[in-house]
Amino acid sequence: MDLEEIKSLVCDEIERNGDKLISIAKEILKNPEPGFKEFKTAEIVSREFQAFQMPHEKALAITGLKSSLDTGTPGPNIAVIGELDSLKVLGHPYEDKETTAAHACGHHCQIAMMLGVAVGLKATGVLDELAGKITFMAVPAEEYIEVEYRDGLRRSGEIEFLGGKPEFVRLGHFDDVDMAMMTHTSASSNNCKISFGGTNNGLVAKSIKFSGVASHAGGAPHMGVNALNAAMVAMSAIHAQRETYRDQDTIRIHPIITKGGVAVSSVPADVRMETYVRGASIEAFLSASEKVDRALRAGAMAVGGSVDITTLPGYLPIQSNETFLDLYQENAAELVGFENLGRLTHRTGSTDMGDISQLMPVIHPYVEAASGNGHGIDYVIEDYQLAVLTGAKAMAMTVVDLLSEGASNASKIVSENEPPLTKLSYLSLLRSMTKEESFKE
Amino acid sequence: MDSNSLKSKCWEIIDSRADWLVNISKHILQNPEPGFHEFETSKFVSQKLQELGLPHQKGIALTGIKGIIDGGLPGPTIAIIGELDSLRVAGHSHANPETDAAHACGHHCQIGMMLGVVAAFQEIAKNSKIPGKLVFMALPAEEFIDVEYRYGLHKEGQIEFMSGKQEFLNMGAFDDVDMAVMAHTSKIEEGKFSIGGTSNGHVVKYVRFIGKASHAGGSPHEGINALQASIVSLNALNTQRETLKNEDTIRIHGIMTKGGVSVSSIPAEVKYEGRVRGGTTEAIADANLKMDRCLRAGALALGCELEIITLPGYMPIKNNPQMSDIFIGNAASLVGDNHVIQKSPTHNSGGSTDMGDLSQIMPVIHPYTGVATGTGHGDDYLVQDYTQGVVNPAKALAGTIVDLLCREDNPANKILSEFLPDYSIKSYLKLQRSRLTEEVYKPK
Repeated sequence: MDLEEIKSLVCDEIERNGDKLISIAKEILKNPEPGFKEFKTAEIVSREFQAFQMPHEKALAITGLKSSLDTGTPGPNIAVIGELDSLKVLGHPYEDKETTAAHACGHHCQIAMMLGVAVGLKATGVLDELAGKITFMAVPAEEYIEVEYRDGLRRSGEIEFLGGKPEFVRLGHFDDVDMAMMTHTSASSNNCKISFGGTNNGLVAKSIKFSGVASHAGGAPHMGVNALNAAMVAMSAIHAQRETYRDQDTIRIHPIITKGGVAVSSVPADVRMETYVRGASIEAFLSASEKVDRALRAGAMAVGGSVDITTLPGYLPIQSNETFLDLYQENAAELVGFENLGRLTHRTGSTDMGDISQLMPVIHPYVEAASGNGHGIDYVIEDYQLAVLTGAKAMAMTVVDLLSEGASNASKIVSENEPPLTKLSYLSLLRSMTKEESFKE
Repeated sequence: MDSNSLKSKCWEIIDSRADWLVNISKHILQNPEPGFHEFETSKFVSQKLQELGLPHQKGIALTGIKGIIDGGLPGPTIAIIGELDSLRVAGHSHANPETDAAHACGHHCQIGMMLGVVAAFQEIAKNSKIPGKLVFMALPAEEFIDVEYRYGLHKEGQIEFMSGKQEFLNMGAFDDVDMAVMAHTSKIEEGKFSIGGTSNGHVVKYVRFIGKASHAGGSPHEGINALQASIVSLNALNTQRETLKNEDTIRIHGIMTKGGVSVSSIPAEVKYEGRVRGGTTEAIADANLKMDRCLRAGALALGCELEIITLPGYMPIKNNPQMSDIFIGNAASLVGDNHVIQKSPTHNSGGSTDMGDLSQIMPVIHPYTGVATGTGHGDDYLVQDYTQGVVNPAKALAGTIVDLLCREDNPANKILSEFLPDYSIKSYLKLQRSRLTEEVYKPK
């Protein structure tokens, strides 16, 4: 078979399973679960792996799954990834009323896309034309939320890192993987259907506790030490630092207060804050993180209280492999037309696909199938054909490009790639970012 | 002559010199000079003392003047004090446009009062034997301002303490004084005369935030913004206000004397002069601790260096009760009972005076004469009634001095024998020296 024949076999098979794949996406949409809690979602994925006769491992990093298709011919192993978790967005139309979990970032389509790629590549005769392996991963917890809860999992030893992919790396699930891809949904930005490339911010996360002394806020405020005022001073100080951030470092610091006192008539003695410190490079966000620490210490110092700062590694900035992207771009153009492709620049959000990109060649394109604001209450997928089927086809066709002809393209990309980090140096970098400090000054 | 006759004589003399005294005060009003800059004011006072033929020392604590009139018989020495210095208040109608110096606190009247008392005492001492002495003092620098300038004088060794009475104590100028009186102007609605109550003590802060300059447009990331540090500090300080007790009458306030030099350069040096006032030593210490940690917090947040110089400020005033009673009697006979207001000893005016320091060492009174409109230390503070502003207080103070020294029941000696000082001059100076601290904070 020539390349075009293989690709059309793959695409036809995805199209033939189209209704099924879209219904899986919608089933997950209606059962949103935040990271490391995706038990129902994992069951759905397991059920579908079984339905497609794909043996798989389960409960990796609590809820993750993994299944491989082996061509039988030696060659690189390509991971196709879907993310299991939802966000939490109060008031989203598909929100779980109890937990406020909602797929306001479109991950439900990723699982369907991943399964779509598997289905397509399992079409009769396709694997015989390819070399190497394809590994399908349903990975938990891409959204870095519920920091306090996850930090609890960390403290009890259930996880070490708070994101799914870093956990997968730590647990060795990427050990035999040579390159990876996934496709995210997004809201249409400039009338494109598929966009790709560009970079993302990396981040560290902080869980902060200001401690003061409670006392009667009316009767004896002089006996109290106001932890809320400490947080307020700290936030003012964080803002006072903003002018010192370079534009190209795209620093983002955006705290929330998760506990701000318990009774208005009592001087707040325990105030909790969570924040990310994001930046375009590891150096930039680590330097900003130091400034944030100074500001937090200053708040506690000013009121005579104390502050505990837990800093946890978040995600690393993403970089896409250009050769890999070129292959993807040709396939995407074939599916939606060259005029409907968009090239991204730098995005200031973050993803743990960034971590994987520091270890191996990756791509992380977007299918622009949604309307509304990402992470907002109005983010809904409008075009499931594009979000699931086209997304799956573009990735499956790219796998064919990579692994056909003895996997020559994949082998070339892997051999030419110079990853900034190895698994060992990656893990030690993340561990070096983990800090638990207490300050009373 | 009995004390009443002596007093009547004093009042006659002061009345006869009323225009002379009022004109002296008005001249000083028109020529305001802030503390330790009162060179012209000092020269002017010296001329007036020469007109009276009174020898005096000059240049004490830079601009201060002191003289003594011996009553001829042994007895206590009472000091009559006038303050030479003005404030600085931009926009005051009598402000010096170059220096912003302005008599927005009415010290110009005090010099008139002091010369009235001096002229009267000189005259009665010529003709009668008075059992005691009058020391007259024109004192510099009651307003604790220009902190950086004064700290410079301190560093150069020109003065050790940064207020007039503190430095007079340090120079030994009060060594021969047993008790002291002066009167201050206040607002008309506070009564023609008022006395009593207390004032805040304070410490004085001279603070420098030291950052790093860089191009504010081109490379703000290479700078360390000392102005931002100071703003974080002052915001932090404001959060502390809820922890200050009402009864401690804490006042924390300051001015920024340097906030950067070019808008296009990240401010690398910010200077702040501040004041921490309170009703008790403990309250001041607590508020001062809060100020210091807030200053450090701003520096820590921005990564600045910080210098905090804390200078010994003033102590709360205590008006001696027996002297106050005598003053009230004299004031009432001049303006009537219903125009003399006695404040409760716990009433705290919120302000501060170095007469407070003196009150911890010897019996003093620091009454007020209500003659001004506007706000004290404001651009609209104007003395409206110079007879009540200068002439009447001179008479009340002269009458008080005559009563203290000449009355048959011998009040001055009685007061002195009963007085329990909180400090001797020596122990006072030792304490004040220990309150001067210099801290350099480098955040880690």
